[in-house]
Amino acid sequence: MLTVEQVSKVYGKGAHTYTALNNISFHVDKSEFVGIMGPSGAGKSTLLNVIATIDQATSGKIIIDGTNLSTMKENVLADFRRQHLGFIFQDYNLLDSLTVRENIVLPLAIAKLPAKEINKRVEQISRLFGISDLLEKYPYQISGGQKQRTASSRALVTNPKLIFADEPTGALDSKSATDLLERLTQLNEQHQTTIMMVTHDAYAASFCKRIIFIKDGQTAKEIYRGLHTRKQFFQIILDELSQMGGASDDLI
Amino acid sequence: MTLFDLAIKNIKRNIKNYMLYLSSIVFTIAVYFTFVTLQHSDNIMSEAGSVTKVSTLMNMSSILLLIFAAIFISYSNTFFLKKRKKEVGLYLLLGIRKRKIGALLFFENLIIGIGALIVGIILGRVVSSGMLAALVKLMGIEVSGGLPLSIAAIKTTALVFVALFLFTSFQGYRVIYKFKLIELFQADKKGEQPPKPNLFVTLIGIALLATGYYFASVDMYTSNAWKVVGLAMPLVILLSTILGTYLLFHTVLVYVLSLLKRNKRWAWRGLNMMTVSQMLYRIRSNAKTLTVIAILSATTITAGGAIFGMYYNVERDINEQMPNTFMWEGQPLTLDETNITMSKEVEVKTVKAEHSGSSNQYSMMSESVYNELARFHNVKEVALSVNEAYIIDSFVEVRFTEDEANKQLKLNDLTLDVIDYSTALVLNSDLAYITAVVPDRVYNQLAVEPTYYQLVNTVNEKEQLDLSAQIKAQLQDTHLSSYPEDYNEMIQAIGALLFVGSFLGLVFLIATGSIIYFKMMTEAEEDKDKYEGLYKIGISFKEMKKTIRAQVGIIFISPLILAIMHAGFALLTFSNLFLMDIVQPVIIWMLIYSSVYAIYYVLTVKYFTGVIKKRIQA
Repeated sequence: MLTVEQVSKVYGKGAHTYTALNNISFHVDKSEFVGIMGPSGAGKSTLLNVIATIDQATSGKIIIDGTNLSTMKENVLADFRRQHLGFIFQDYNLLDSLTVRENIVLPLAIAKLPAKEINKRVEQISRLFGISDLLEKYPYQISGGQKQRTASSRALVTNPKLIFADEPTGALDSKSATDLLERLTQLNEQHQTTIMMVTHDAYAASFCKRIIFIKDGQTAKEIYRGLHTRKQFFQIILDELSQMGGASDDLI
Repeated sequence: MTLFDLAIKNIKRNIKNYMLYLSSIVFTIAVYFTFVTLQHSDNIMSEAGSVTKVSTLMNMSSILLLIFAAIFISYSNTFFLKKRKKEVGLYLLLGIRKRKIGALLFFENLIIGIGALIVGIILGRVVSSGMLAALVKLMGIEVSGGLPLSIAAIKTTALVFVALFLFTSFQGYRVIYKFKLIELFQADKKGEQPPKPNLFVTLIGIALLATGYYFASVDMYTSNAWKVVGLAMPLVILLSTILGTYLLFHTVLVYVLSLLKRNKRWAWRGLNMMTVSQMLYRIRSNAKTLTVIAILSATTITAGGAIFGMYYNVERDINEQMPNTFMWEGQPLTLDETNITMSKEVEVKTVKAEHSGSSNQYSMMSESVYNELARFHNVKEVALSVNEAYIIDSFVEVRFTEDEANKQLKLNDLTLDVIDYSTALVLNSDLAYITAVVPDRVYNQLAVEPTYYQLVNTVNEKEQLDLSAQIKAQLQDTHLSSYPEDYNEMIQAIGALLFVGSFLGLVFLIATGSIIYFKMMTEAEEDKDKYEGLYKIGISFKEMKKTIRAQVGIIFISPLILAIMHAGFALLTFSNLFLMDIVQPVIIWMLIYSSVYAIYYVLTVKYFTGVIKKRIQA
């Protein structure tokens, strides 16, 4: 599904360079739910941006579903992003001037789907995220959790191959966060959606099936949930983080 | 680091934001400086001496310019202060005293102001000779020598603008004192209510505009509404137009856009939905500014169009009013015959007569004399039978003469039937009364002492100023109707008006353009995150540019269209009132106005897309 091969990202020029990603490589299979963890400045967000084609890698290869992204042109990338990738952000990125429904419609409208088809898909996805009653409301009229579910609906309405979530629970209270994570898990299990989530929150990470730890721009370690329960996995992640050192400051 | 250093640093960092503001101010100062220089320039004023009004005109326009500059500068200042609220808050948070921050902003403002002043005066000095050439050309006068550097003008300009900058700098100082730190921590976006369409108010808005336009375009002599409302009518038109304009931005456009948004087949295609939604917010929240801009532009276009139209019509008007190069009452004179094509004495009798309900003085002329003149001036000759008359009046109103009963000219003891009317004069209108041609027999029977007019026609009548002076010297106190003199006076007066009007219009235009640009600058900052999000979900920069162009476009084009419509109706009334054909000059003027406006549009879109692009690629 996703292959990252020796990707590096260097900022700056000459003597003042900063290496955010250093020859990082890993592979994500279809219908995986992968978490990316690491201390601040480890390169998590850079990695996500590079994979998500928002930023360009300095060197290396990124292959999504057989397509090599590093050879693509700017405008083709935008189309690729829209058609195959879905994004969920910490700060939702909803448009205030549009209703919940219109926000979800947006990517489909860009794809120039007929209105009837758009309506069908919006009804479907909003039911899945439990926001059918909110469709005519504006973002300022709904809660943070509802906003994030709206943003998730928008990300998923195009049936993307791969979902990227960047600290999706960062601005949510624990109840809303749990609710969102459970819905993502359900999506992953029932619809085989591939999800890649960046987080520094061990609780959020415990919903994943695999965690990749990043430190200083390289993969430091990988752990699998396997047959552990979510609670057990949570403990394992906490132990792992304290072993890595420094990271525990980031925890709570 | 001293406060002063910090002020300089801040200016350097913000110079890009200030650029348009600075150039607008510099331009305003340059124009002001030129006006004052011309006012103080002796050789211009002596050359245009016959038109003492030019000096007054320059004086008044420079005051008008100043008032406008004051409003523009203080508006821009509050705008930039708002933009820097966060910075001010940070200073406060770091524990810098308000007095110091105030002083900092005060310094910054003053440095910018003085910088603009110096550049403005230098620029003014450089362009003033060019502007002088334009003025001289428009006024049709000749000036020897260039424009000397006027110390007095520099003094006046510097004094006035330093005072202005001091005043606006104090304003900034005051804003800091009113600033509360908590404002900074309150949520930026409180979630504005989306504008709701309101059909009732929409209809009122359209009705108000329609009323204003209707009253402006009806014939004020025959309309019943004018009879009822009378002289308050212009006020009614003005109020309904202004209120209508406001409602158009506040409600009517919102209504139309909402309808558009509800049409799913159109709206759910690309970014259309977002474009319309953004427009809704933008127009509603900027309704007041847009109204002011529309009204200001309408005023500028109307005034400019009217002046331009007048300038354009000067020659035609004078040709119409003064068919003879020279005309005076009394004895013939001996003149240099080189340029003279015709020299003739005509006899008329001045009588009081009644026609279409009003009694006026008429210059009665015999048929044979008229026909002779008509042949020379190439106008229609007449053949009258007994008791018939032919009226020549440049202001003849056909509608007054449609009524058969009115077509009579009543003298003391006889009544003549008016067979036709003409606007083609044969006598200069400043000396003769309305001309009534009557059969020779009737003319001879009039028991009035005849008046003798001397008519002289020449080649190149505009250039006969020397001959005019010659005749004038011989005539002494007798009034001379002189084509070249009147023509040159008119051209000078209206030329000066056109000159001043164009530059004032340009300054207004630049200021309104800048205000929209500033507004969009803030909105671009606010929208940055939105576009970043859109980019991440796979919307290409190309699509974004499209929606930005449309969003900025409506803010620019809606007040422009309204202004052009307003001005169109106002000028229609104007041209009907003065019977002038001003279509061509008005269209030229509107085109110039729109193209300068278009430059601002392009600049704004460029800035907006630049901000978004920078954010996306960061």
